[in-house]
Amino acid sequence: MGEVIVVTSGKGGVGKTTSTANIGTGLAKLGMKVVLIDTDIGLRNLDVVMGLENRIVYNLVDVIEGNCKINQAFIKVKGYENFYLLPSAQTRDKTSVTPEQMKELTDRLKESFDFVLIDCPAGIEQGFKNAIAGATRALVVTTPEVSAVRDADRIIGLLEANEIRKTQLIVNRLRVDMVKRGDMLSCDDVLEILSIGLIGVVPDDENIIISTNNGEPLVGDNSMAGKAYMNICHRILGEEVPYLDLNKKEGFFSKLFKK
Amino acid sequence: MNSVVSIRGSKHGISVKLAESATYEEIKQNTASAFRDAAKLLGDKKVAVSFEGKVLTEEQQEELVELIHQNSSLQIICIMEQASEKDRRFQESVLCAQMELDASTGEFYKGHIRSGQVAEFERSVIIIGDVNPGASIVSKGNIIILGSLKGTAFAGASGKRNCFIVAMDMQPIQIRIADVFARSADRPEDKVTEPRIAFVEDENIYIEPLTKSVLNDITL
Repeated sequence: MGEVIVVTSGKGGVGKTTSTANIGTGLAKLGMKVVLIDTDIGLRNLDVVMGLENRIVYNLVDVIEGNCKINQAFIKVKGYENFYLLPSAQTRDKTSVTPEQMKELTDRLKESFDFVLIDCPAGIEQGFKNAIAGATRALVVTTPEVSAVRDADRIIGLLEANEIRKTQLIVNRLRVDMVKRGDMLSCDDVLEILSIGLIGVVPDDENIIISTNNGEPLVGDNSMAGKAYMNICHRILGEEVPYLDLNKKEGFFSKLFKK
Repeated sequence: MNSVVSIRGSKHGISVKLAESATYEEIKQNTASAFRDAAKLLGDKKVAVSFEGKVLTEEQQEELVELIHQNSSLQIICIMEQASEKDRRFQESVLCAQMELDASTGEFYKGHIRSGQVAEFERSVIIIGDVNPGASIVSKGNIIILGSLKGTAFAGASGKRNCFIVAMDMQPIQIRIADVFARSADRPEDKVTEPRIAFVEDENIYIEPLTKSVLNDITL
């Protein structure tokens, strides 16, 4: 029996989709059976980040409405044995699906997958309710900004109200130099406000933008963000992994000798 | 539905509505038949009963209760007087007195109150956790927060000005005690993490460190 994990944040643009793509890919790299579900109906882009946009034939709404079989809507991710994406519909809206239908779908999927990863839309309305309906665990993504932390706090409250108790935090886009200057909330500041468990810190890394544009998640490569996401995957599987030393500045020579 | 006698269940028991125009004989017959018809539905609960719509003597009431006993399996514990205006006044004054008491009694709440959540308490409350920005806490009595107060707090919600708010880390967005408001400074001063108390004096809310002299001035 697999686990249904929702990746959520409240605020938009903090890295939910990027995190879902990278964590999903990372878990698949570790040999897990994974399916990603994009619940952002009408504003889909998990498929773009995964580089699978051109393969979409059927989508989540088609599955819910019974226009196709679930296997027909699955897009197999290239290079993996058991890694699929269930894309969202672009021409419909959030009301096309109800929380009950989502719960039924995820309950069915967790029979045959180790992890069902749900990319939640921004906001706390219907789309959010759909995304969390079947989830038993949540990863809350926030950036070290007051507005994002405020929204994350609201989301954590709503998750608790919906009986999702296993909630962990990803602090995304941390800039160590700014924290040192006192211009950015530190990871500890964020944790003090939200008081939930931390599962990963992802540094601000321009490689993320490059990888997103290329449609290839960078998890597991040598970049700081790639390592950070891989560590998160290990922690999801219950392993103890030390946190990255984000202070380490890449020197001129190490850059030179890296291939 | 019986037009002379109708049965209604309420929070506290069963009220039997009697048609004012009916004679006592009619009422007796109809009471018997109404309870016989509804016997299954009513079950064998222990209830209080009240007769409404017609003034009955004590003997008549007892007679009707006896009829209910015979025709259903209900167990009538007592007969309640009709709720008159006087009764309601009594009730209100009792409630008021209980509310007064609530400022000096209290309860514990364990957990964080997060953005968008409103926690309301009838009595004084001790929060074991934080009140985050965007959250609010309302109490008719005092509020003590064994964590940080970064949201909105409203003590003395029933109008008592001698209520107070204590927090281990006092950085509220807004504070209200009874009908007096205060909001945080637009440019926050240097953050000091120390226990502080907010109270009302001369139409203003003061926030001061929790010293002995302040504590001595507290009246419950």
